[in-house]
Amino acid sequence: MIRRNLYIALAALVLVACAPKERDAVADGRLPDIYPDYVGVTIPVGIAPLDFSLKGADAVSVQLAAPDGTVLRSAGRVATRFSRKRWAQLVSRSAGDSLTVTVSGLFDGRWRRFAPFGIFVSPDAIDYGLAYRMLEPGYEIYSFMGIYERELGSFRQRALLENTQFDGCVNCHSFKRGDPSAMSLHIRGAHGATLLTRDGDLTAYNTKTDSTLGFCVYPYWHPSGRYIAYSTNSTRQSFHVQPDKLIEVFDLASDLQVYDTQANEIITAPQLKQPDVWETFPAFSADGRTLYYTAAARVDIPDGLPQSRYNLMKVSFDPETGSIGQDVELVFDAASRGRSASFPRPSYDGRFLMFTLCDYGTFPIWHHESDLWLLDLQTGEIRPVDEVNSADTDSYHSWSSNSRWFVFSSRRGDGLFTRLYIAHIDADGVAGKPFLLPQRDPQAYYTELFRSYNVPEFITGPVPFDRIRAQKAINSPERVPFGFRWSD
Amino acid sequence: MTKIQKFAGVLMTMLSAIAVYCFFAFKYPYHLHFQEQYQLFEFTWGYFLGVVSVPGGLADWAGRFLTQFFYYAPAGAAVFALLAVAAQWLTWRVCRRPTLTAYALSFLPAAALVVFFCDEHALAGGAVALLLSLAAVALSGRVCVDGRRHVLQAVLVPVLYFACGPLAVAYVLLTVWAEVLRCGRRALLAICVLLLLALLCPIVASRLVAYPLGRLCLGVHYYRYHNIVPGLLWAAALAAVCVPPLAGIRSRFLSSTPAGLGAFALVAALGVFFTFRASDASKEEWMRYDFMVRMEMWNRIMMTADVRNPDNPKTVSCLNLALAKTGRIADSQFEYFQNGPEGLLPEFVGDCTNPVSTGEIYWHLGMVNTAQRFAFEAQEAIPDFQKSARLYKRLAQTNIVNGDGAVARKYLQSLTHTLFYRRWARETLALLDAGDIFAHRPELALARDRRLKEHDFLFSASEMDSMLGLLKVENPANTMALDYLMAWCLLRKDLDRFAECIALVEAPAMPKAYQEALLLRWAQQHGSLEGMPPYLSMAHAQRLNRFILDMQAGKPEAELLRTYGNTYWFYYFYRYRSR
Repeated sequence: MIRRNLYIALAALVLVACAPKERDAVADGRLPDIYPDYVGVTIPVGIAPLDFSLKGADAVSVQLAAPDGTVLRSAGRVATRFSRKRWAQLVSRSAGDSLTVTVSGLFDGRWRRFAPFGIFVSPDAIDYGLAYRMLEPGYEIYSFMGIYERELGSFRQRALLENTQFDGCVNCHSFKRGDPSAMSLHIRGAHGATLLTRDGDLTAYNTKTDSTLGFCVYPYWHPSGRYIAYSTNSTRQSFHVQPDKLIEVFDLASDLQVYDTQANEIITAPQLKQPDVWETFPAFSADGRTLYYTAAARVDIPDGLPQSRYNLMKVSFDPETGSIGQDVELVFDAASRGRSASFPRPSYDGRFLMFTLCDYGTFPIWHHESDLWLLDLQTGEIRPVDEVNSADTDSYHSWSSNSRWFVFSSRRGDGLFTRLYIAHIDADGVAGKPFLLPQRDPQAYYTELFRSYNVPEFITGPVPFDRIRAQKAINSPERVPFGFRWSD
Repeated sequence: MTKIQKFAGVLMTMLSAIAVYCFFAFKYPYHLHFQEQYQLFEFTWGYFLGVVSVPGGLADWAGRFLTQFFYYAPAGAAVFALLAVAAQWLTWRVCRRPTLTAYALSFLPAAALVVFFCDEHALAGGAVALLLSLAAVALSGRVCVDGRRHVLQAVLVPVLYFACGPLAVAYVLLTVWAEVLRCGRRALLAICVLLLLALLCPIVASRLVAYPLGRLCLGVHYYRYHNIVPGLLWAAALAAVCVPPLAGIRSRFLSSTPAGLGAFALVAALGVFFTFRASDASKEEWMRYDFMVRMEMWNRIMMTADVRNPDNPKTVSCLNLALAKTGRIADSQFEYFQNGPEGLLPEFVGDCTNPVSTGEIYWHLGMVNTAQRFAFEAQEAIPDFQKSARLYKRLAQTNIVNGDGAVARKYLQSLTHTLFYRRWARETLALLDAGDIFAHRPELALARDRRLKEHDFLFSASEMDSMLGLLKVENPANTMALDYLMAWCLLRKDLDRFAECIALVEAPAMPKAYQEALLLRWAQQHGSLEGMPPYLSMAHAQRLNRFILDMQAGKPEAELLRTYGNTYWFYYFYRYRSR
């Protein structure tokens, strides 16, 4: 028996001794083909470990080196698994400089060491986390979905509200500059409502009034927290027969309105409610004195759909009186370029405005050509954000509270399932290479994930949202009606 | 129980198992296929964790595990037979007085379960939950030391609630009853603890998982529709709770063999009566057609229709697809009952059933995007948020055809974790990797060739004829699109459009239904059949004349049906009258 065990131990020893060693790796001058592509990305201090896998490798071994010489190693058969604590220490030591990443992979029994690459660590802080909706990228019928928050410093995702709690779907959510205590959230379906949470108070509203087109749709909080700008849209869907495109989502009508949370009334003005103009996607400027939005001339649907092109517009707003200015102003004439603008999002420092540009229409997520564009509000310069755009859809975006980061949704991975990318942007508007929202085993996680991320918003802390209270409010028939008044 | 009684009991169990097996294997097999197609059971840790993370999740996972075998109806029937036998045996184990009558009564929960499973939306997880609860009663009863038993019983309440959901209440009630019998007043504290725990479990769960308290009290995954309480499952649980105390009644008569046999006969009669009452032959027929379409059994569909003419739009649409796939629709369509264009291309309905078989039609026509939409929508509409292996397969196919390989791979990767779709998925992935999938998968190559490439437009059910026409124009080999176009016009009674499209027909001989339609149009336009085109058959013309004369003579519809039921004229005047 002892002899047999000795033989087994010896055989194991021989096997281990004969196994290929990483230290014998052959140098490969190329950059490693890793998933997600973290080569050269810019990350914030406090981000969760950027674990990744090496395509085609039977095993991967990675060494991260900080500028001060501190080293962190991780190895795995499928993906790296950096220690969260040591990763955080390493990243914080590297702020303002780069981490050097050296990747080795086992291919056909031989180790190959790839050319090192850098990950730049920005000294600019990022917010606590993200809030987003997750749902299948479907057509008209919805299945399981929910609103979730994700802590950026870890892999923790928490459900705020899921549609297992009621019959219906959860829709656009919005925070006041990332303030988790001020949220607007729509519920659609049999228990339709708009939930507003402010400092622990939660109320379910009926946002449809006799004087407005319909329910409130796309929201944007005023920096003071007193007002929320909403669009109201009569939205329809149609489906392409050819494979290049799948879905068209369009409006048959749309208007803009501002909700005064103190007076509990909708304020609108004829210039934002023109019958021959479709106004949508409102967003307040950083000082709250301008309301940006997009607008298109009405066209016949469906024949005129390819000609429906939205321009970037603005109108003044007086936060003291809630008055909407008389004159609307063209900010960017997208239509004359044969393009259509959507999702205008001014940075909170007042310097930039980011928006999405596609060939036509108002729902860029289903347009492969959709890209992010940046308007410098100081110089008026407009340019595509080529540093982050991809060949596929790049669409919804949101600024961090310090305006140094933005998160955006992109279909660059597989052309259908939307994933979140975070990019740094400096004071001059130059963006860094974006990185995919980190997961513990990104390859497995994103392969097995059949839901898309939708409407990502930065949040500055955990959302104090009482799921059960919200569930009771949604399932109750009581709704507080909105009042209505015309702007002075 | 005497030896004879024991033998009688074993015989009863065997007979019941055989009866349940035969019912589901021969009378109700397509319900099993239907059940199977609305789930995607994956052998992955992530899937397991996802399912078991809600109260009742373990039972649900086990139920889904069993349901995957419904891919083969005999295996599914065997599963139901085993579940029924297990329910009976465990109920019997819980009974404290071993009489033949008790044995016969122990079939009641099993009978209720069988009736429950006649509903295509009943989920196997409910039965597993009841079985686990009964097993827990039997298990805890084996501990002789009171203190230890009470601790075990208390621990089992939250464990069972988490594993089985609210059906754990059956365990609580049976344990309370057993403890009353066993310890009398000494068990008061233990009973109070059990009842308190049973009350607390759903309340605590409502804080932990995103489900309303009501659903946590009635079951999250016992039935596909969450807003329907599965009454029969709860009836089975009630029977399981009531049978042991009833069986405990001391009576010489109840202990006798005749009483036992009589009780068995009564339970069996009730079971058979309610099972047949709960079974739905029309649904079974539609599911049969849907299954045959899924398996592309075109000739079998027509043979089935020859035995019994289908009459609801869903089954008729399956028959018409089979006729088109075998090239017989132009000649034979009106030999079968037709109920308008809905029986050719049913309109989209936002549920999980209708778009499945309708999507098959679009897939075979080459309208790949529409087939993809229907498959996706049907899956999204599955009320309990499960996924469908059948629809994943279709979505993988449509994405491959559309050139979206990355998306197709996602679906295929999931299918590689299943039992019955694994092989196909692995082969398809290998073919995708090799880059020659269209050479090895003719059905994909056909769909790729048939789909529209030059014309793009938004799908519109009201412009179906234009879409079908374009399919034929872009791909002249797509004769099925032409067949559907002509059939669409005929079924809508749009003879003008039919006449416009007839130029596309290149058949050596004009099909019967087309001749009948053209003759009718000629007669309507000219008042007689004189001067009709030479390619129209004189025999058909004479028959039309007779039909018109008989109709004008006021012959009843039933008589006309006997004589002219297989003609387009009869359809035109007596069917689809909503136009």
